[in-house]
Amino acid sequence: MIRSVKTIFIEKKNISTSKYIRRNAKRRRVTFLSLVAPALVWFLSFMLWPLLNMFFISTTSWNALNMPKKFIFLDNFVRMFSDPKIAISLRNTGTYLLVGILGVIPFAFMLGFFLSLRKPGYRILRTIFFSPSMLSVAALAMIFLGIYRPDGMLNSFLTAIGFDATNRVWLMNKSTALFCLIAIDIWGGIGFNSVLFFAALASLPEELYEAAMLDGAGYWKILWKIAFPLMLDFIGIVTVLQFLGILSGAAYMILLTNGGPGNATFTLGFYLYDQAFRSHRLGYSQAIGVLLFFIGIVAIVLIRRIASRLSNY
Amino acid sequence: MLNWISRFPRRLKKGADPFVIGGYFFSIFYAALIIIPLYFVIVSAFKDNSQIILKPLALPAVLNFSKFIQAQVNVHVLRAGLISIFITSGAEALTIVLAFPASYAVARIQTRLSPIVESIFSLGFLIPGLAILMPIYMMTAKAGLLYHPIALVILYPAFNLPMTMILLSGFMRKLPRELEESAVIDGGNVLQIIFYLFLPICIPGIVTVLVLNFINIWNEYLFALILMDSNNRTIQLALALLRANQRTIDYGLIAAGVLISMIPVYIVFIFFQEQIMHGMLAGAVKE
Repeated sequence: MIRSVKTIFIEKKNISTSKYIRRNAKRRRVTFLSLVAPALVWFLSFMLWPLLNMFFISTTSWNALNMPKKFIFLDNFVRMFSDPKIAISLRNTGTYLLVGILGVIPFAFMLGFFLSLRKPGYRILRTIFFSPSMLSVAALAMIFLGIYRPDGMLNSFLTAIGFDATNRVWLMNKSTALFCLIAIDIWGGIGFNSVLFFAALASLPEELYEAAMLDGAGYWKILWKIAFPLMLDFIGIVTVLQFLGILSGAAYMILLTNGGPGNATFTLGFYLYDQAFRSHRLGYSQAIGVLLFFIGIVAIVLIRRIASRLSNY
Repeated sequence: MLNWISRFPRRLKKGADPFVIGGYFFSIFYAALIIIPLYFVIVSAFKDNSQIILKPLALPAVLNFSKFIQAQVNVHVLRAGLISIFITSGAEALTIVLAFPASYAVARIQTRLSPIVESIFSLGFLIPGLAILMPIYMMTAKAGLLYHPIALVILYPAFNLPMTMILLSGFMRKLPRELEESAVIDGGNVLQIIFYLFLPICIPGIVTVLVLNFINIWNEYLFALILMDSNNRTIQLALALLRANQRTIDYGLIAAGVLISMIPVYIVFIFFQEQIMHGMLAGAVKE
């Protein structure tokens, strides 16, 4: 008898506490949502909604804002296969990505490692390395215009050291224009990423290095045998960021070359811009946007997977 | 917050190591590659065009400010600067107003919704700006805000929310649990906790976020190019226009424009260097 009363009492108490917890959880959820709502609404309406719109528009044929759009499903994507400009932009984008990543990541990693040794002067070097990241794309384009133009700094430097370079038109030459634009990215990219690597390397426990030093390993060995394997995941992240930055870049082409000379600097990003705002083929431009988006997603997955596979060895 | 710098051994080994010598060599070489173009632009702004071509790296014989005046005459740099200041401060304020309560909720209120909301925001890193440029142009036109600076004040916070939320909520997670508990006992509600308790404590985090967003917003080019017209140029648009206005390139004029546009950012960089580097690293790691 006494026992059953006790159990009933306990059960009752259990019910009331769980009710209390549930009510509390509900109240917490309401508070949570009302605090998050403004930011969430903002983000959904100005980031995700436009992204969805990109997918909608990519299935239409639409030639000006005030003209009616016609639903054509996947025709824009089918057309891509026979569009020579897509092939050219893919090739240019590929070159841009390859040179832009291989020209940045290895050097940035080694410089970042050197900075992380904290030799005298590393602070001022770090500041200098980081300073190009403060420049806008417009400022970068204008600075390098002064370097690449026919009577610019590069040609006067080449003349000064004895090359006959007086009439080299770097940005208007088919074989150099694309690399000139990539060089702008590499110029600032090495510095920016080296500081990222520096900061990431600085978070490694120092015992790791000390043990290796006691075993008689030099810096070069520590760099490749200890720091590099430990940093593979981070290198993957940095590579992804670099990849996405290049993939969705069009500013240098807009500011400096207009995709030219010929189609030499026509990249996927610039093609999107060109179709949307110059040729007014809105549907097709958004189809290129969809392509750009999926290339980015695939690249993220691939690069991260490669990085984690390598770091498991 | 900045103790990640001090955790590393100051010196690992004494004496001249070939690796260290090589490191210095390449570091100084690269530092020179960075400094020379920047120096070239700065001195070019004060020289006339024949001097720029003949002696690109020489210091200006006399400080010539005529290019700055010409920049004002040609593209109204001052007006563009004021518009940029308006857009930047508006967008900065709006970003914090939106992100601060949301970051508090994500970091300090335990519900199952929290990771969902976080992953929605982290989608932002996957969305290429170029891809949503056209849909946003259409939305802006539909809203009647095309060529109006308000459009950018509304849009830039959306672009900067993911990074801002990550940094602010990361900052708040490190604060001790007991913080709200004492306030709850005192009978404070959530809004009071946020404004009187968290806002003052989170000032360092807010400063980092403000600085990073300032750089992003001040330097933004593509959306401003599409959404603004000649009456509402931002400083970046005015800068790019210095080239387009004439058939031959007046490089001194362009250099003056570059200098004007980069001065505010470099002032911020000098004072908040550590915050900028730390913030960018935290953003990259969380990506």
